Amino acid sequence: MKKKVISALLSVAMVATLLMGCGSQEAAPVEEAATEEAAPAEEVAPAEEAAAGEGQVYYLNFKPEVDEVWQSLAAKYTEETGVPVKVVTAASGTYEQTLKSEIANANAPTLFQINGPVGYQNWKDYCLDLKDTDLYSWLLDSSLAITGEDGGIYGIPYVVEGYGIIYNNAIMDKYFAMDGAVVASTDEIINYDTLKAVVEDMQSKAADLGIEGVFASTSLTPGEDWRWQTHLANLPVYYEYKDKKISDTDALEFTYSDNYKNIFDLYINNSCTEPGLLGSKSVDDSMAEFALGKAAMVQNGNWGWGQISGVEGNTVAETDVKFMPIYTGAAGEENQGLCTGTENFFCINSQASEADQKASIAFVEWIFSSDAGKAAVTNELGFIAPFSTFEDDEKPKDPLAQEVLRYMADSSKTSVAWNFTSFPSQQFKDDFGQALLEYAAGSIAWDDVKAVVVERWAAEKAATAQAE
Amino acid sequence: MNTKKTVNHFIFVMLCGLIVLFLTPIFFIILNSFKGKLFISDDPFALPTAQTFAGLSNYTNGIEKTNFFAAFGWSLFITVFSVIAIILLTSMTAYYITRVKSKLTSAIYYMFAFSMIVPFQMVMFTMSKLANSLHLNNPWGMVILYVGFGSGLSVFMFSGFVKSIPIEIEEAAMIDGCTPLQTFFGVVMPILKPTAITVAILNAMWIWNDYLLPYLVIGVSTNYKTIPVVVQYLVGSYGAKDMGAMMALLVLAIIPIVIFYLACQKYIIEGVVAGAVKG
Amino acid sequence: MQKTLKKYFVIFTVPTLFAFCLAFIVPFAMGLYLSFCKFTTVTDATFIGLKNYFRAFEEPDFINATLFTVKFAVIAILSINVLSFLMALLLTRKIKGTNLFRTVFFMPNLIGGIILGYIWQSMINAILYDYGTTLVANAKFGYLGLIVLMNWQMIGYMMIIYIAGLQNVPTDLIEAAHIDGATSWQTLIKVKIPMVMPSISICLFLTLSNCFKLFDQNLALTAGAPSKKTAMMALDIYNTFYGRSGFEGVGQAKAVMFFLVVATIALTQLRFTRSKEVEQ
Repeated sequence: MKKKVISALLSVAMVATLLMGCGSQEAAPVEEAATEEAAPAEEVAPAEEAAAGEGQVYYLNFKPEVDEVWQSLAAKYTEETGVPVKVVTAASGTYEQTLKSEIANANAPTLFQINGPVGYQNWKDYCLDLKDTDLYSWLLDSSLAITGEDGGIYGIPYVVEGYGIIYNNAIMDKYFAMDGAVVASTDEIINYDTLKAVVEDMQSKAADLGIEGVFASTSLTPGEDWRWQTHLANLPVYYEYKDKKISDTDALEFTYSDNYKNIFDLYINNSCTEPGLLGSKSVDDSMAEFALGKAAMVQNGNWGWGQISGVEGNTVAETDVKFMPIYTGAAGEENQGLCTGTENFFCINSQASEADQKASIAFVEWIFSSDAGKAAVTNELGFIAPFSTFEDDEKPKDPLAQEVLRYMADSSKTSVAWNFTSFPSQQFKDDFGQALLEYAAGSIAWDDVKAVVVERWAAEKAATAQAE
Repeated sequence: MNTKKTVNHFIFVMLCGLIVLFLTPIFFIILNSFKGKLFISDDPFALPTAQTFAGLSNYTNGIEKTNFFAAFGWSLFITVFSVIAIILLTSMTAYYITRVKSKLTSAIYYMFAFSMIVPFQMVMFTMSKLANSLHLNNPWGMVILYVGFGSGLSVFMFSGFVKSIPIEIEEAAMIDGCTPLQTFFGVVMPILKPTAITVAILNAMWIWNDYLLPYLVIGVSTNYKTIPVVVQYLVGSYGAKDMGAMMALLVLAIIPIVIFYLACQKYIIEGVVAGAVKG
Repeated sequence: MQKTLKKYFVIFTVPTLFAFCLAFIVPFAMGLYLSFCKFTTVTDATFIGLKNYFRAFEEPDFINATLFTVKFAVIAILSINVLSFLMALLLTRKIKGTNLFRTVFFMPNLIGGIILGYIWQSMINAILYDYGTTLVANAKFGYLGLIVLMNWQMIGYMMIIYIAGLQNVPTDLIEAAHIDGATSWQTLIKVKIPMVMPSISICLFLTLSNCFKLFDQNLALTAGAPSKKTAMMALDIYNTFYGRSGFEGVGQAKAVMFFLVVATIALTQLRFTRSKEVEQ
């Protein structure tokens, strides 16, 4: 009896080992598609040995949409230099949470990112001074970097981005050609009232235009709502800061609440999805709707190009993808441009071993200076990199990045700064996002949303101040 | 008696209805795991048609994205070795503290009993920090942690049973010249077998399904992710994108449990009842 | 015999005790101490007294989570126990196929909470989709969803315990009741239920502690959405620890209070079952 039990257990253990073996081998060819590279079990040991001498890199990636690019960049770097690079992507909306549990691990990330001054306050114990790195010296505008109280450089921005309303010019032209079109060209849409008139007219003619709705789904699934609780919320905060001539506040009044409501209502009421169902939609869903021609407009940034071009059966021509600013009905918005800035700052884990820190810096510098790295940054990641190592002809050529560059160069337009880097915490954004979800579903009134924003802003600012 | 027959007939039909109701969620995920991801929300309860049928593509997708077989292997590895270690070590401990009466052993006994009422959240943060500073973030480390965590209930159940074993048998063995270890493995362990099965089943069910401990200790960056961790990871970051792969993964995740259950049904049900009554 | 065995202390107990200290004793003691400290990692703690405990109540989250847990537990415990008892009654009538029914009803109990949560999330969403809404649109859906899910998972388990209890009711007692002319309703109330009281108390406490400690299902089904209105205590503690910086001490203080609640429930159970055993 005993023998039987033992042999049964041994066979179970054998099956387990076998499975792990084949599991990783099967995964090897599709490593790029997998959420992280699964080094075949046998190779783990040598890699760790190598690490002891030369250091290794563990990058916790923030952007799920470019996970595959990072995986292949990491593989290429390891191939060239032999330094092991591991890239793990945090689920959408959980970056801080993942970073927090991962950084406590024995194999903590050596390279991570923060979203600005607020993020720096949370992670300053883990940020290495990068003042003497080449990366910092390459920065075109050194004021963009995150400077600590001691004058050290603790975060270096690696991308400049812009967002606005992306529209499909082919559908717009089709509309302008119709009888009774409100305006004759997108150039005439320079404020909220015009936008609203055009959108509502288009929605009533949706069937003739061959679309399901003017706007793609306002994705409100928790974790997928950052376009609204962060990006769209930037506009009222930008105008409030501008009125008060401040750059941060402990008590937001949300004076432009009605403007936010204007555009948000326009989004959810003229959409290809019923308002009540928005809680099941993801960013990917709405980008797919746009790419498939089901919607004429979608609010997103230039990073969204990969999600448009990557959709199977995509019907949008590259030349038809354009940007327009987000109009909310604020005074003076006729001159408003896109929202441009950055919330992506690289940090090196100051508590990692020195070898790992050096390896991580070398990896980042390789990405932004080697030909292979720069090509991937420009063409695959589509980043407008703020470094002097990039020549003019090394700017991304995708239509959205081109549009961002065009708006930035246009002196008649004022870019909207990314004031959302001063938002108190991820918690605030999540609370705001969920209030929006309940509002869209008809469970609460707009005044409740406004109250949530004002209260949570003050509470979270106080809480984070207390936590320091 | 005729009325009783009709009543029983009626009850039988009702129970059949209940079974259908109980199995609906399972059928639902199996059904949808064969549909293309774009069609799942269209008519979720319809059978796949020629247009919506996606073959096994959801399964290959889900397996690739999560490296499912590796996760299955690690889940099995951690569960099997933890359960073996728990049975072996805690039965010995329970035997010792029951047979040797001293202040120390009764203090140990109460500590184990006490640990049963402490929820995981109480030690979650400090335990994962400690485990990481000792480099226990690997499958063998997990085995150690599960022994530590499972020991409360296991020692408690074993001691309850050891108390009921007449001490004379052991004494006879000792007089025959057996060392305590020989006595334990030769005489006591065979008597403990039914309890050992109960303890094994309770621990196996818990460890196989446990999410938070492996998530916090092993994390998402290593290759040692277990099934619950990969399910949460896939759904968390990719779920909204690929409902099909999610459905397939859910089906894959419950297959081993269902097979194990059907194979050892009798022991499982008995073990769980015994565990509930004693625990 | 005790003397010879005593010398084997190291072999018999030390491996278990080592793991036990590592996984439980040390973290527990540290956790208790840290609940009175301000810290971000366990090495940088400074003592601040009861401040964490006050801060835990400054925001409504913890109180809301507690209220939600209670609201959930009451309905879930009642529905699970009533339904499983009824099913146990049906399955002790010697109907054909009893074994198959038992097997199927018990099965969901073996499926892990995370997987269970996602199964139900996708199904509930599929149903609500037809009504133009989703699981996270309204806290009511999450609440009902959790209750249905818990029923699905635990009914079979409780049913098995009730069946074991009912089978232990001596048949002559029931026959005697019949001979005395008792209706089956009267037999149930006067004979069966008093006789299965131990099973009832076991089931009540099992459901109670499972409902209070619920985490995986909660995380997978709604993760607290919308606006943390469906977050239970365990999830709220997890979010306090890992969802934000500077709140580690508050999280630990909440965890200590959570421990006290769960321990009180468990100790009451122990008392209760002990006294019942004496009565018999």
